[in-house]
Amino acid sequence: MENMKKIALNGLLISLALVLSYMESLFPTSLIIPIPGIKLGLANIVTMFALFYLGFVSALTVSVLRCLLASLMFGGFSSLLFSLSGAFLALIAMQVLKLGHGKLFSLLGISIGGAAAHNTGQIIMASLMMRNTAIFAYLPVLLLAGIVMGLLTAVVAQNLFCLVDKTHVVNRLG
Amino acid sequence: MGLRPKIGDFFIILIVAATAVILLFSLRQADTEEKIALIIQDGVVLEKIRLDTLEHTEILEYSGEYPGVIEAEKGRIRFKEATCPDKVCVGTGWISKNGQIAVCLPDKILIKITGIGSSEDDTDIWLY
Repeated sequence: MENMKKIALNGLLISLALVLSYMESLFPTSLIIPIPGIKLGLANIVTMFALFYLGFVSALTVSVLRCLLASLMFGGFSSLLFSLSGAFLALIAMQVLKLGHGKLFSLLGISIGGAAAHNTGQIIMASLMMRNTAIFAYLPVLLLAGIVMGLLTAVVAQNLFCLVDKTHVVNRLG
Repeated sequence: MGLRPKIGDFFIILIVAATAVILLFSLRQADTEEKIALIIQDGVVLEKIRLDTLEHTEILEYSGEYPGVIEAEKGRIRFKEATCPDKVCVGTGWISKNGQIAVCLPDKILIKITGIGSSEDDTDIWLY
């Protein structure tokens, strides 16, 4: 793909992920389940899109810049470290699972695996920052919530991928 | 158009769910009559409160980037007020069972309820 098109797409995806992050911050998930760091994970749809259509480097760029900008605009420095470590682990997990896409896994498994890796990364970072492992008590609930949210994002991503494939604006890698 | 799950998807769901359940059971603590609340900030135990014999309400102010107030009563404890942006700590509400925690991430402060004789029960400061 031409470089210009790729740069433009990356910029588009970063702003899209940022809007989804903002929408999430308006939806008070933590009022329903009072656990720090619990969220819908809508921005992961964008990360998955970047991973499948533009590649790992692009997906990494999109999620790191989304975390940076989101924490500058509506979070603090502490939330940056949690989201960065979560996003990074999630991306690694999804990249590995993607190798078996179509044969072993569908988007469902990739998305849920990513969500679980994200939650684990967040809790590890939180326990490092608090210098106490007691926060692992939150991990089971986060993992179970991650299964549900991973499932929902997979359904949205699958439909999105099908629509994009019809337009041929950008083609799936591999 | 639809999502066709593959065999590996079920394995991933199974592994994640099993990890959650195993963690849940291994972190669970038997409830005891004696209860201690540990208030830990930045890895240091600030305060240790014996909850089951507490006669009056105990108010504890903590400092940090976002100061707040912790309230303890007979058998339970909570973040009463906080100035942090997300206020998840206040939203957690009262905790009263062994193994339960309440956390304020921005201030790195954690309340943990534990029975007497647990590994972290090693300080000699008591607050009744």
